[in-house]
Amino acid sequence: MKKNKLVLLSGAFAVLAATSATAEDLVIGLATAQTGGLAPYDQPNLAGLQMKIDEINAAGGIAGKFPIKTIIKDTRSDSAQTALVAQELVDAGAQLIITPCDADPSIAAGMITQAAGIPAISFCATTPTLPLAVGDFMFSNYPADNVQATMLAAHAVESGYKTAYILTSPDSAYTLKLPQYFGQAFTAKGGAIMGEGTYSIGQQDFGAEVTKIAAMDPKPDVIMTSAYEPDFPAFIRQLRGAGVTTPILGSDGIDSPTTFGLGDLVEGVVFSTAGHATAGSPLEAFNAKWTEKTGAAPDTIYIANGYDLGNVIEAAVSAADSLDPAAIREGIANLENLQGVTGTISYKGTMGMPLRSVSLVRIKAGDRELVAQGQPDPADIPAP
Amino acid sequence: MDIFLQQLLNALSLGGTYALLALGLAVVFSIIGLINFAHGELMTVTGYAICFALIWGLPFPLAVIAGLSVAMVAAFLMERVAFRPVRGASGTTLLLTSFAVSAILRVLFQNLISARPIPVSIPASLSGVLTVGPLHLGMIQLISIIVTLVMLLGLNLFLHRTMAGRAMRAAAEDFAVLRLMGLRANSVVATAFVISGLLAGVAGLLWVAQRGSVDPLMGALPVLKAFIAAIIGGLGSLSGAVAGGFLLGFIEVILQAYLPESLLPYRDAFAILVVIAVLLFRPQGLLARKTLVKL
Repeated sequence: MKKNKLVLLSGAFAVLAATSATAEDLVIGLATAQTGGLAPYDQPNLAGLQMKIDEINAAGGIAGKFPIKTIIKDTRSDSAQTALVAQELVDAGAQLIITPCDADPSIAAGMITQAAGIPAISFCATTPTLPLAVGDFMFSNYPADNVQATMLAAHAVESGYKTAYILTSPDSAYTLKLPQYFGQAFTAKGGAIMGEGTYSIGQQDFGAEVTKIAAMDPKPDVIMTSAYEPDFPAFIRQLRGAGVTTPILGSDGIDSPTTFGLGDLVEGVVFSTAGHATAGSPLEAFNAKWTEKTGAAPDTIYIANGYDLGNVIEAAVSAADSLDPAAIREGIANLENLQGVTGTISYKGTMGMPLRSVSLVRIKAGDRELVAQGQPDPADIPAP
Repeated sequence: MDIFLQQLLNALSLGGTYALLALGLAVVFSIIGLINFAHGELMTVTGYAICFALIWGLPFPLAVIAGLSVAMVAAFLMERVAFRPVRGASGTTLLLTSFAVSAILRVLFQNLISARPIPVSIPASLSGVLTVGPLHLGMIQLISIIVTLVMLLGLNLFLHRTMAGRAMRAAAEDFAVLRLMGLRANSVVATAFVISGLLAGVAGLLWVAQRGSVDPLMGALPVLKAFIAAIIGGLGSLSGAVAGGFLLGFIEVILQAYLPESLLPYRDAFAILVVIAVLLFRPQGLLARKTLVKL
């Protein structure tokens, strides 16, 4: 009897949960990682997005009439689980799905959402081929690898570097392709690539690779890599340890407190990132707001990036003036020059990877110095 | 020639870290037949302990002592809470238990501490370089070679000169007879775990010094390498684990140094191929024990 009551009770709850979304609620399904290897990227994005959603709901919903309801499910950073979760969210009636910060699980989820005709946006996948692999209902929310690479190549040419060495890892599309895009853009501008070294992610041992670089004669003018923690700190420690003082270019993966904690080792390193808080910028205002709300300054740009995803959703649904998934897709695809906290965001005229501003930052005495900010000339960007 | 010598030095330093890790696995395996895949999480625990000790304002040497102590206590607790209840169960049960401990700890780190890496301020003196003629040796590399040798020597003395050490060796030979001699099984097993905790702590310290941060998943890859090293050396053999560790380090560095650029992305595949080749000729590993007696 007791058991029956329990079943009845849980049944009642299930019905309640299913009906608590009213006809005018925008249901966003989050198939993102709370645990596993992608959690360090998905969690801060989610925190930023949540802040924006809370603000929207406090103001009565998007355009004052579409409150947002979220369904959050952990994907454990596993592609198969991400597809499973995406299916559950589609079945639960989500009109928009958010996928993890990596192309592989996003493609897995995209296969489900594309077929269901529901738009999906990856928190911060940077692989430019992601929307091509899925279809017109797939978007990302971050500057693409080839865009970052083009900005870095332009900086290398402006700095007078003639030759470069790239260090890649075949373990992920990001660590392999971004330096290769850099190589293409750099060569197109008259530079030369002297060689390509490789490493395994997480290995932390660069002894053999560094010995090879130290033995190069002549040395390259610059070394470009997309290695991030734990590989980047280990690499630069061992490289400088071997007496090699060649300048280093990195990408947004090293925009983390660990890098700035390396002191003299990283002095002068230039890297690309999604935003830079110049005085009076929207990002500075966002950082202040975040600090006031949580009591701690944001330790990564991904928080602001997640907040900007909220801005994208708000603008797209406002433009669509409807909760129909196809209309929301149209809304996203036609966004142009939306002012976000990290800069302007445009989807119009792209295949789903947004045109967003990229910042180049130089590490100086443990702090950031802005080198360049903006979007590269589309003609210079290597094809994905 | 200089380059070759430099690469040998690189191999020695990498192999040393692998040897420490593999030894930690072997100490426990030789006694209770458990491959402890949560060994990597002991490294992570050490990293967090050092990190928080530094944040609380302890000087670096004290933070290191705190880190190693926490690793030993964590290993002791791991045995008491998770592995003692399943002692003597089948190998599969033990293995799955260790996977579970590892997974639970990782999720706890991610959700209670932070999913993002936390920086550890390593003193600048550890970034120094020692230059001998044409050879460069980073401070951390040098320390890892020295520490490995000291640990190996210390462990050897402990196993041969102390009562607890002799008991551990006897337990590895035949646990049942050891108990018949009136020695307490629990204390012998606990000692083995505490030693493996110390080894993991030292390896964790070297690992963190190199990367400058701690993150919840950092133990996964090292424990995998240690497992490979222990297999090459011969599971359950302590000297085998050390030999396996150095051999694996040597194989990886030499392949990285001398494979043509077009084949470099497949370096790990080649390294595993060499390991398979070793196992084809020595299926029990390099220095396998003749018999394996379990409780």
